[in-house]
Amino acid sequence: MRGEGRDEGAFRQSEHSEKPPHPTSSLRSEVDLSPHAGRGEERALAVYGKRGNAETLVAVDDAAERRGLSAGMALAQARAMHPEIEAVPEDAEADAQLLENIADWCLRYTPLVAIDAPDGLLLDISGCGHLYGGEQELVADLGRRVERAGFAYNVAIAGSIGAAWAAAHVGEPASYLCGEERSLLAPLPLSALRLAPTTVAALARVGLKRVGDIIDLPRSPLTARFGPELMRQLDRALGREHEPLNPRLPVAPYVAEQRFAEPIAREQDVLAITERLAVRLKFALERRGDGARRIELTLFRTDGALRRIATGCSRPLRDAGDIRALFAEQLAALSDEFDPGFGFDMARLAVVVAEPCPPEQIGIGGDNGATEAGRQVDQLVDRLSARLGARRVRRLIAQDSHIPELAAATVPAQTTRADNGWQTFRRHRAEAELAPRPLRLLTYPEPIEAMAEVPDGPPLRFRWRRALHEVIAAEGPERIEGAWWSEQGGAARDYFRVEDKSGLRFWLFRAGLYRDLAPGAAAPSWFLHGTFA
Amino acid sequence: MIEQLRQRLQALQKTAGIEDGAGALPLGIAAIDAALGGGLARGALHEIAAPGEAQLAAATGFALGLSALRDDARAANSSSPLPWGEVGAPTGPARLGRLDDRLRAPGEGLRLIENHLPPHPTSLRSVDLSPQGRGERKKSFVWIAEDMALIESGAPYGPGLDQFGLAPEQLLTVGVAHRRDLLWAMEEALRCRAVHAVIGELRHGALDAVAVRRLSLAATNSGALALLLRSAPATDASTAATRWIVGAAPSLPCPGGGGEEENRPRFATHLIRNRRGPRGSWILQWSDIDERFVLATPAQPVAMPALDRPDRKVA
Repeated sequence: MRGEGRDEGAFRQSEHSEKPPHPTSSLRSEVDLSPHAGRGEERALAVYGKRGNAETLVAVDDAAERRGLSAGMALAQARAMHPEIEAVPEDAEADAQLLENIADWCLRYTPLVAIDAPDGLLLDISGCGHLYGGEQELVADLGRRVERAGFAYNVAIAGSIGAAWAAAHVGEPASYLCGEERSLLAPLPLSALRLAPTTVAALARVGLKRVGDIIDLPRSPLTARFGPELMRQLDRALGREHEPLNPRLPVAPYVAEQRFAEPIAREQDVLAITERLAVRLKFALERRGDGARRIELTLFRTDGALRRIATGCSRPLRDAGDIRALFAEQLAALSDEFDPGFGFDMARLAVVVAEPCPPEQIGIGGDNGATEAGRQVDQLVDRLSARLGARRVRRLIAQDSHIPELAAATVPAQTTRADNGWQTFRRHRAEAELAPRPLRLLTYPEPIEAMAEVPDGPPLRFRWRRALHEVIAAEGPERIEGAWWSEQGGAARDYFRVEDKSGLRFWLFRAGLYRDLAPGAAAPSWFLHGTFA
Repeated sequence: MIEQLRQRLQALQKTAGIEDGAGALPLGIAAIDAALGGGLARGALHEIAAPGEAQLAAATGFALGLSALRDDARAANSSSPLPWGEVGAPTGPARLGRLDDRLRAPGEGLRLIENHLPPHPTSLRSVDLSPQGRGERKKSFVWIAEDMALIESGAPYGPGLDQFGLAPEQLLTVGVAHRRDLLWAMEEALRCRAVHAVIGELRHGALDAVAVRRLSLAATNSGALALLLRSAPATDASTAATRWIVGAAPSLPCPGGGGEEENRPRFATHLIRNRRGPRGSWILQWSDIDERFVLATPAQPVAMPALDRPDRKVA
């Protein structure tokens, strides 16, 4: 079953743009499942949305078109003509999402895919055609697959984005060579140049209706009257000026891909192919002295769905076995979500982030044991991160702050290496004779009910998590000023290290000082911030 | 061929946890090392439980202390003329620790003491005079806990660890969502040869024997110290090499002890299960200068702890 709507694709020699489905295509499948489907007589389907102040048809399907409905018609009028039509409100977000999915799917043809909202795609297929045995074959393959997915489309190839767009939207969708732009564009209406409707209308008022009418006109009067946009669009369509393509996803510096005659579905097969692709990448990486820091495996399922699995590593990686091991953890973590369906017919391994990786010298030099140990720890970090998620495997870093909870932070272990500022911290600790700090710090200080003998002194007893603790020894106060330079800095804190009767040691503080207290204000409250061994 | 298979079988069949293939990690306290048969077995699983939730920080401190123990014990053993058991009074190390503290700057002072006092394997050797020595000589350790545990009991705090004598840059913290992941991550970490100790923090609930055995096996293969930190004493059977209940002990100045002792954390440790020897109870004190435990009580307790009396319950 085919959807409906102006689904065109424009292509070109180097850029090719495709128009994917439009609203009714995706709706059709839902409607088919509905009770009307069994009736035998096809029901017309139209999608409407608010344009200006009126509800207007945005797209119609084949059946509706046969009844004389078309996009742009008022909904009320369409309903009056054909009360039985099925009118559905448009869902622009879902359409955009669908377009993005199709764009991702098009990555199988080229890494340079851009979205041409609301219903088109631009693909740069320079140098990609030979993979399919030529541009025509590539387009034929794309058309087959798009059609099988139930979408109507127009597709054109041309030497510039503008020409391809014009051919797909307005002209004859076909394949044009470089240099044929002029003959392609000349007979087309001016709207084929992707101009603002007001400009087109203004041009029409002076009798300029086709592209051919303005190609040979003197440029300066046109620019003076209609603005620079007109000439620029013309130049771009004719290929006189370069128009950059803005790909939806960043293009990976290293890519290796493999197509399969028979879809693969088993996890071992996926891992085996990953390793084989990694071996291919290794040569490319070695040649340029790079290593992978982030790798993405894209699996193209036969039904058009995409599986993207990305993994990071703590040091530049080249070894295929290591890369395979990381993806093995990822797949194990995915388990059920990794749904191969009827199998994958293509796999692509891309190094998304690469970093210079100096060649390693093995066996010489005294420090070999330490580097080997470091490498093993990095491998452990990578394995754990691949399975549990990079944010769960962390290292502590020292930060330059006097506020206890900010003095140390945890960051994903893959992003950090080596010292992390602790050498500096140790120097500072020795110089400043830092008072004892707890072994475990609570993420947020917990309020406690405390009773102190003297206002500024340590508490006599306090209640934390419903248990009463009698303080028998206390050390302090250690006054830690809040961040006075900031609005949310908070009050100064007086920290006490206290020990209760059973020997438990806590780190408490009183938020705020009595001397700063406004008359009549409530007494400062107490918090428990950490526990000592 | 058959011979090879036999060897492999033998390797597979070896009982996990009590082999001393990986050696022992001496605590440097004669009484405890004697009970443990030379020290805490490396490449084995040890369970450390807090008597209650509130005491978890103390148990944490004990576990961290164990993982901070120096690995150079074997070298020390071979060079020391005296075997472990014959080292003099247990008060020695404590006093030495303080001496070390005072004599840290002049290097020859240390040598002087070394000549005049009965040699103690770790106390002198472990004082690191080189400024960069601390982070370098230590191996990584991994702390794995469920996310909830880190929120409830607090996450390891870098400056605190540093003061405790551990190098925070060597710590890898892993937060996991499920216990299943915790056990998996522990096993993975134990397999890594560069990891010295793995601390797994387990909240309430029993642990099945298969999981414990898997951990023991993983530890045996790499020789790493596997420490299971529990917030309450376990009731389940376990194949762990030792089981400890560790709580905080009041840090009252001990008779003859100096003032600075009060700052040192004290632990009431009960060894309630020991596959190699008797059980026992000790009050230990962590000395962050030596990075080792010392006995806080001047001598052996007068009476054996209630643990050895089946009619009485453990406090």
